[in-house]
Amino acid sequence: MLLRLIENFIRSAVNETVDKAITRAIRDQYTENLFEMVPATNKVGVTNLLEIAMRANQGTPVSRPLGSPIHLSPWEKILFNPVHLFRFPTPENVGIRTSITIGHRAKKPMTVSIPIMIAAMSFGGALSKSTKIALAKAATAVGTATNTGEAGLLEEERDAASLLIGQYNRGGWMNTPDKYKRLDAIEIQLGQGAQGSTPQRTTAKNIGEDFREVFGLREGEDALIHSRLPGVNTKEDFIQLVKRLREETGVPIGLKIAATHHLEKELQIAVEAEVDFVTLDGAEGGTHGGAPTLQDDVGLPTLFAITRAAEFFARKGVIRDINLLATGGLVTPGQMLKAIALGADGVYIGTAAIMALVSEQMVKAVPFEPPTSLVVYTGKMTDQLNIEQAAKNLARYLNACVQEMELVAITLGKTSLIDITKSDLSTIDPFLSKATGIQLGYVSPENQNRFFEETKSLFRTFEAPIKEEENEVRPFLSESNKEQDRPHLH
Amino acid sequence: MENIQELKNTLSYIHSEINRIETMAGTLSTIEREHYKKLTNFDHTELVDIAVEEQNAARQLGTMKHMCLAIAQKIDGINSAIDRGEIGGDEGRATETH
Repeated sequence: MLLRLIENFIRSAVNETVDKAITRAIRDQYTENLFEMVPATNKVGVTNLLEIAMRANQGTPVSRPLGSPIHLSPWEKILFNPVHLFRFPTPENVGIRTSITIGHRAKKPMTVSIPIMIAAMSFGGALSKSTKIALAKAATAVGTATNTGEAGLLEEERDAASLLIGQYNRGGWMNTPDKYKRLDAIEIQLGQGAQGSTPQRTTAKNIGEDFREVFGLREGEDALIHSRLPGVNTKEDFIQLVKRLREETGVPIGLKIAATHHLEKELQIAVEAEVDFVTLDGAEGGTHGGAPTLQDDVGLPTLFAITRAAEFFARKGVIRDINLLATGGLVTPGQMLKAIALGADGVYIGTAAIMALVSEQMVKAVPFEPPTSLVVYTGKMTDQLNIEQAAKNLARYLNACVQEMELVAITLGKTSLIDITKSDLSTIDPFLSKATGIQLGYVSPENQNRFFEETKSLFRTFEAPIKEEENEVRPFLSESNKEQDRPHLH
Repeated sequence: MENIQELKNTLSYIHSEINRIETMAGTLSTIEREHYKKLTNFDHTELVDIAVEEQNAARQLGTMKHMCLAIAQKIDGINSAIDRGEIGGDEGRATETH
């Protein structure tokens, strides 16, 4: 009876409040109307609105976790092509090969059992020690590698990881033989998708004793990541560095850069240096925290970066010598496998790995703290992360992802994930088709040329070099429009 | 000449053992995969965890199989180089021809 009374009271109060709110929203002038917030927020965007307020409050670049919310790689416009008769699907009792070997030319190549590795996320600069250990344990359980990120050598991570890729970094914390000689592969870190090659700083107040120890910092000293790798100021310096690391360690030596429109020029130097692998971090790459402008407005989307890099390596005849590792915003197994089909040998996942890691334990943090407070070094709840459970969750996630990839391989009639190529894809976007070389799903394979021939006017402008003066008048003029407009040009 | 012959014998031994390991890894990988299928038939979290471990083990055994294959190919390459006289100079060829 009492409950019924309370319920009736609440219903009546809510009803009256909503009625008044609607009535005011209708009667008030827009400038006096709270509803003004809706179109204003729509115009600016919720994220941007909050970040405007944060900048106004803090006066320094905002540190946004997990990378850009803008996805510029149109993975959803690409689809796999199943087979039924012309080529048969793979029988279900045939095991799909999932392993990849990185650094065929190295003295000690590194073989991972699945083509997914744990991305570079540093201890201290990004994640807590327990998180790094959990990531390493999960990677070991599934037979893959984890990456140190820009940090020194964390002993607990080394112990937990059967395969550890370490970053020779711009902070210099891994750059001594006593550290890098204990790695299974070395990735020379010159940049990342979420931050380009900008300098980064962890202030001393956020650096604990364990952090100082691993990084070799003095008390009160900031951890500085420089924009350039110390000692590498010319192309020759880089080539010499690769050569020296190769001779000293024998493990695969790689280069990690943020994907950029200057990609081929950067890769040319990597080819000259004879690196064993290149890690390309697309514009959608995550981070523990970084300036939104660097995340949203800098770099090249992952999808196009992979495509261009694979084409460049093929042109240079090094496609079998240099492994291409893709990273940056890959969150579903489908996206990861599409990256492989476009030419990547393997992928790194960061954000998705962290989300899988905390999946069951995030209830410890929400609703009063974000899930990241369980895993980032400066998080308030890092001591509450159960390492074993976290590792188990990530291992399950990785298994599920690879199994989904295997299912796709079966329907494509393939017995190895690495055998999946562009010919197993089609796209519904003609521009994407032109840019990536994936066939257009609208028309049959034999009619592809005819389709593009008949619609040439739509694409021609992009193929032909645009003369400077024409460019000034109208940069993207179609051929037919150019004809019509020609009289006006003279 | 003796050394080259010894090297060839050792390589043959490693090659044959690697082939056996490859077969064993392949068989175990298949068994682990079957276990995964059986264990996931039960709606039981702990069994699913064991199943996932089995599946991961299956993949790692599959990886070992392919590593063995790659090593066997390298050994073949070394043996062929010895036969061609590229390793051990004339000694290698002499061993082959006499």
